[in-house]
Amino acid sequence: MNKPLLRAEGLTARFGGLTAVDAVELSLPVGQLAGLIGPNGAGKTTCFNLFAGRIRPSEGRLRFAGQDIVGLRPSRINQLGMARTFQNIRLFGELSVLDNVLVGFHGGLKSNFLSAILRLPGYVAEERRMQDRAAEIIELCGLTRLRDEPAGSLAYGSQRLLEIARALATNPKLLLLDEPAAGMNPQETTGLAALVRRLRDELDVTVLLIEHDMRFVMKLCEHLTVLDHGRVIARGAPHEVQQDPAVIQAYLGAGEPEGVAP
Amino acid sequence: MRLQSLLKPGGLLQPGPLPPASQSRRRDTLLTIGACLFAALGLWLLENHASGYVVHLSCVGAIFATLAVSYNLINGVTGQFSLEPNAFVACGAYVTALLTLSPAEKEASFILEPLIWPLSAFSIPLLPALVIAGLLTAFMAFLMGFPVFRVRGDYLAIVTLGFGEVIRVVANNAQSVTNGPLGLKGIPHLTNLWWSWGLLAVCLFFIVRLVHSSYGRALMAIREDETAAEAMGINAFWHKMLAFTLSAFFEGVAGGLLAHLITTISPTLFTFFLTFNLLIIIVVGGLGSTTGAVLAAFLFTYGGEWLRVMEEPMRILGWDIPGIPGMRMVMFSLILVVMMIFMRRGLLGSHDFSWRWLAALLGRRARP
Amino acid sequence: MDAAQLTQQMINGLTLGSLYALIAIGYTMVYGILRLINFAHGDVLMVGCYFAWFGAVQFGMPWYVALMGAMVLTAALGVLIDQGAYRPLRHAPRISALITAIGVSFFLENLGLVVFGGRPKAFARPEMFNHIYQWGEVRVLSLSIWVPILTAIILAGLILFIRRTRVGMAMRALSRDLVTVQLMGIDTNRVVAATFALGSALAAAGGVFWAMKYPQINPLMGVLPGLKAFVAAVLGGIGNVTGAMLGGLLLGMAEIMLVALLPELAGYRDALAFVLLIGILIFRPTGIMGEELPE
Repeated sequence: MNKPLLRAEGLTARFGGLTAVDAVELSLPVGQLAGLIGPNGAGKTTCFNLFAGRIRPSEGRLRFAGQDIVGLRPSRINQLGMARTFQNIRLFGELSVLDNVLVGFHGGLKSNFLSAILRLPGYVAEERRMQDRAAEIIELCGLTRLRDEPAGSLAYGSQRLLEIARALATNPKLLLLDEPAAGMNPQETTGLAALVRRLRDELDVTVLLIEHDMRFVMKLCEHLTVLDHGRVIARGAPHEVQQDPAVIQAYLGAGEPEGVAP
Repeated sequence: MRLQSLLKPGGLLQPGPLPPASQSRRRDTLLTIGACLFAALGLWLLENHASGYVVHLSCVGAIFATLAVSYNLINGVTGQFSLEPNAFVACGAYVTALLTLSPAEKEASFILEPLIWPLSAFSIPLLPALVIAGLLTAFMAFLMGFPVFRVRGDYLAIVTLGFGEVIRVVANNAQSVTNGPLGLKGIPHLTNLWWSWGLLAVCLFFIVRLVHSSYGRALMAIREDETAAEAMGINAFWHKMLAFTLSAFFEGVAGGLLAHLITTISPTLFTFFLTFNLLIIIVVGGLGSTTGAVLAAFLFTYGGEWLRVMEEPMRILGWDIPGIPGMRMVMFSLILVVMMIFMRRGLLGSHDFSWRWLAALLGRRARP
Repeated sequence: MDAAQLTQQMINGLTLGSLYALIAIGYTMVYGILRLINFAHGDVLMVGCYFAWFGAVQFGMPWYVALMGAMVLTAALGVLIDQGAYRPLRHAPRISALITAIGVSFFLENLGLVVFGGRPKAFARPEMFNHIYQWGEVRVLSLSIWVPILTAIILAGLILFIRRTRVGMAMRALSRDLVTVQLMGIDTNRVVAATFALGSALAAAGGVFWAMKYPQINPLMGVLPGLKAFVAAVLGGIGNVTGAMLGGLLLGMAEIMLVALLPELAGYRDALAFVLLIGILIFRPTGIMGEELPE
C-alpha cells in the first residue's frame, strides 16, 4: 500500500475569532492530478499556505513524503520537495525570466558562497547544469523567446507560466498550483492542461491545484476535494462530486460557476 | 525631452537593450585585467606627481567607494533597508587603531583611565590588524543579525539605527577601552593610495562575483519578494546574514583604513551622519547597482570638495555673497529629497557595469 | 536612595515621560495612517522651539502666546513637509518615502545649523515654572509639576478631538483602512494633512516644555528626543494613540530610574531606549497595546 505523498489530518487554522480551515483531512497519493475546489473564501489558499509552511496550523497534523512538516520553514519544506505558485502572482519583477527560473535552483545548490565567489570548479559545474536545466524548463513552458525579458513586463498568461517554471526549477515531487488558469483564454487553458499532464507523465510531479474554471478542473483532475467555509464537504472523482447535492448547494449559495451543471 | 530621460525607469544611464552575452569570457577577463593595470598606472602617477591634497582625497574616495559598495550589498541588492554602517565603521576603526598603536602612544592617550590589558601591552602591523578588525566587525554583525532580522521594513531601519546609536554611546562611555569622548590620536598614517584602492579592488572582486552568482540572484530574489523566495527554497534569514556579515567585514576594514588616514578618531566621527552620507551615495548611484555605488562615491567625495566652494565667499554678477559654512549638507539633503521624488532610481537603477553594457552605452550615444 | 529622592525622581520621570508622550503621538498618528516613520518629526519639534524662542525673545510675547504661536506655525510646517515631500511619494515603494523622510530631517537640521549656528541659545524659563517647591526633604521644580498637568490637559483635548469630531473620526478610520475610506469619498489628503498638523503641534508643545526644562535650544536638539519618542511609540504599540502615551511615560520613567538607581551607568541612558526597543521587538513586537505587526 503506497504511502500518500501529502497527508493532512484534522488540519485547522484560526485567526482571532475566524476559523479559516476547519479539521481538514486530505490524502494525496503519489502521481495523482488532484483538485481543491470550493466557492470563494472557502479556505483553499489558506490550505495551500498551511501545506507550504507559510502559516502554522492551530491544530492538526501534516505529513509530506512520510515526514512531519508542521513548524518547518517554507524554504525547508520546499527543499523536501514541495513547490507552489501564488494566486496573486509573486514573481521577481526586476529579474529576467531566466533569472527567475535560476533562482528556483538555488535551494538545491551544494556549493557555498566562497566557492561561488572564487568560481571553483564545483560551483562552475553546478552553474552550468543549472543554466542547462533552466533552458529546458523554460522551453517546456513555452517561454523561450521571453528569456531575457524582465518578469514584471510579461503578459499575465506568461507570468502565470513563469510561476510554474520557477516552481519546477526547485525540483518538486509535489506541485501546488493556485489558480493557474486565472485570466487565461480557452486556447491558453488547453495548453496549460497539456503542460500539467506532461509534468505528471514526464517529470513524475504530483499536482494539486486550486481552480475556479470548472471545465478545466473536470477535464484535468482525477480527484477532487471540495471545501466550503473551511470544511471538506465532498471528495471523489469529478463526475461524482459534480452531482453531490452538498456541493451543488454550496455553489448555488454563492452563485453557480460555469460548467458545474450536470 | 531632457526631463523625459531623467524619468527613465531604469536609471539615468540606461543604454537600452544589450547585445546578447557573448561567450568570450576570456575577452572580458582580459579587458578587466587591462583596466586594472591602467588604474595601477594612474595611481602610481598620482602618488608621485599629485599634491598631498589630491592624494588624500583619492584615498578618501576609494574608502567611501568600498563603504558604498558594501552598504549597497545589504540595502540595494538584498533590499534590507538598514541604517547601521556607522557602527561597523566605528568598530573597525577602533579595533584596528587599538591594535596598531604602540603601548607608549596608548599610555599617552589614555589619561583618564588606562587601557585594559592586553591591548595596552602590544601592537601589531596594519594588515593583521585590519583582518582582525574586519572579522570582529563581521562577528558583531552576526550577533546583531539574530534580533535584527526578526523584523522587516521600517522596523529594520529603526532597529539598526538603534544599534548604531548604542555602539556610539558605548564608544563614548567605555573609557578604558575606547578612551571615551577623547578618542584615539596619533594613529600612524599608514593608509596610502595602494591600501585604499587595494581594498576597493578586493571588495569589488568579492561583491561583484557574489552578486553575479547564484547567491546574488538569491539575494535579489529576497529583495523582490521575500515570501516567494522562501517558497522557492531560499532560507531568507541565512542569506540576509550572509549579505550583512560580508558588508560588515568590508565596512570594518574600510573603517580601519579610515582611522589610519585621518590619524585621529573619536565617537563624534561615527554618528548617523556617516550613515546618511552613505545612504545618499547609494541612492544617487542607484540602489542595487555596485557600479553606481562606486561612481556616486567618487562623485560625492570630489564633488563634495567642489561644493565646499559654495561655502566660501564669492562674487557672482557683481554681488558679494558671504561664505555660508554648512550649506553643503543642506544642498545634499535637498538633492536627496528631490532625487527621491523625481529620479528615484538614481544613476544606474539596479543595473551593473559590464563591458558589453559600456559598449552599448557608447554605441547609443554615438548615434546623433 | 531614600523616599524623598525617590519621589523627586518619580516626578522627574513623569515629566520626561510626558514630554516623550507628546512627541510620540505625532509619530504614531502618522504611522497609523501612512505606515511611514516620519524621521523629520524630531526636527520639526526643534523648529517649533525656535519659533517659540523668536516669539518670546524677539517679540517679547508672554510664554503662553509664544507657545500657541509656535504650535500653529509648526503645524503649518508639518503640513508643508507632508504636501511637499511625502505626498508625491504616496504610491511609491515605502523605502522611498523613508529615505525622503531622512532627507527632510537632515535638511532641517543643517538648515538650522546654517541659520542659527551650532551654539545653543538660552531659552528663558517663565517665572511660574521657576519656583522650587519644598516639602520636607523633597525639592521639586514647579515646571516638573506643571508639565505633566499641562500634558494631561492637552492629551485630554486630543482624545476628545479624536473621538468627537468628524476629522478625528476620519483619522481613526484612515488608520484602519486607507483604501476603503478613500472609496467613501472622504478627501484623505485633507485628513492626512490634519494628522500632520496635529502631530506637529503636539511635538512643538513637547519641544517647548523640553526647552524650558533643559533651558537651551540648538539645531540638533530634536534628534535624540525624536528617536526616543519613536521608540516610546513602538513600546506602546505603533498606531495606537493611548499606546504612545503609555509608551512615553514608561520610557521616561525607565530612563530616570536608570540614572537614579545606577548612576555609574548614567552615560548609557541614551542607549536604554534602543535596548528596550530591541527587547520589545523580540518579545512582544506588537507593543503593549498594539494589534498588528507591519508587513
